[in-house]
Amino acid sequence: MIEIRGLKKRYGKKEVVRGLDLKVPSGTIFGFLGPNGAGKTTTMKMAVGILNPTEGDIRIGELAATDQRIRERVGFMPEAPYFYDRLTGMEFMRFCGSLFAKHPSDEHHMRLLTLAGIVHAKDRPISTYSKGMKQRLGFAQALVNDPDYLFLDEPLDGLDPIGRKEVKDIIRELSTPRRTVFFNSHILADVEAICDRIGILHEGKLLYEGPVREFCAGKPLEDRFVETIERHQKEKR
Amino acid sequence: MKRACAIALNTFREAIRDRVLAGILGFATLYILLVIFLGALSLGDLMMIRSFGLAGVYVFGLLATIFLSSSILYKEIERRTLYFVLAKPVTRGEVVVGKFLGMFAAVALSVGIMAAIYLAVVAYEGGGMDTWGLLAIGFELVELGVFVALLICLSAVASPMTSTVCAILVLFTGHLLGSALEQAKTISGTAYMIIQALYTVLPNLEKFNIRDLVVHQVALTPTVVVAAVAYGGIYIAALLYVSWLFFRRREL
Repeated sequence: MIEIRGLKKRYGKKEVVRGLDLKVPSGTIFGFLGPNGAGKTTTMKMAVGILNPTEGDIRIGELAATDQRIRERVGFMPEAPYFYDRLTGMEFMRFCGSLFAKHPSDEHHMRLLTLAGIVHAKDRPISTYSKGMKQRLGFAQALVNDPDYLFLDEPLDGLDPIGRKEVKDIIRELSTPRRTVFFNSHILADVEAICDRIGILHEGKLLYEGPVREFCAGKPLEDRFVETIERHQKEKR
Repeated sequence: MKRACAIALNTFREAIRDRVLAGILGFATLYILLVIFLGALSLGDLMMIRSFGLAGVYVFGLLATIFLSSSILYKEIERRTLYFVLAKPVTRGEVVVGKFLGMFAAVALSVGIMAAIYLAVVAYEGGGMDTWGLLAIGFELVELGVFVALLICLSAVASPMTSTVCAILVLFTGHLLGSALEQAKTISGTAYMIIQALYTVLPNLEKFNIRDLVVHQVALTPTVVVAAVAYGGIYIAALLYVSWLFFRRREL
């Protein structure tokens, strides 16, 4: 279970996340949606310990997100990742693995690179990778510790249609009762296809949280999403 | 510490594969080899060879340190490569220590290569094994360690250009402070107090400069060696602590 309570994040006077409350049950694939600047990435960064909340807290399993120990069980793929370009793909995987208490073996790294579809380029410097290959490497490193909680920030960005299908299939395969997948995406059709539950964030506030089918009620997710955001904007006026 | 070592290994790998470092080492090699011709011009004067050789190792070591370290944390923050690291069970303190160890190892390797070429040149010119020269290079290395720590500290808050300018200012003042303090004693008053404050806060880099003593073959006492190494170590530890204070508050 991922539990967010009264979460706020302020940068100076600007409040990016405004009292967010959210529960994501274990074993679900949760899609976190919202327009640009809604606070999705900020929330995710607080969940994985990169940022500290201004107020409120996040619990992942039985531990607070600020607790160092929980990160042994968390995987994170940042949006549009940048890498250490002079390392090879395999060296980067080894580096990521070496930051955990249990160092994964090279066979494990090979399996992940194969799963991500870039094993053929494992000995090439990352500087020679295409955008899609970097995206896949970012995905592979998020799995290096076989995490129980997987946070993916725009994992389908920069992938061609075949790549997107492959990554969606992998996300589905990764979904087990033990593992929770939490991901941000703008590509609503993909969210609709793979998520059990969604949360819609707008201007730092949660507008909806629940099963994706219930939210759609027979309409495409994109239409319902736009309706929800527009209704919220009208109510604000 | 294991995680800091993993970060150090990664930093070291990245640094030694940097083309700028290869370029600096290329120029350094050329310069130190040119000292042979300088020796021929001075009729094989070993003092001249040692003086220019050790200065070359120092200057090129410093260049490598500044080029490699001025953006060490800044670049990772700007390019967001730190997201990969900080989302794992790694503290910001481990990042600072790991970055220092990795960069210092890369600088030490560069200085080691230059030192080997320098020693070969001195031996070729009939100077035998220049043990004192090696000690002078060891002192230079401690000074470069102080610079790596200083640049990590600066790069946690400032751009590479600002860090470089600040490091160059510290370089000049750090080497001049000792004599400036002596001069200021004669005038006393506010100027003396300001220079004394600077002398206390900024590193006294002249403690690591034993090149003239080595060139003129003036023996050093073990106390001087231990004091300089201890001073460098304490200064590095203090700078890394300040780096951590800056870095832990930094929003990424």
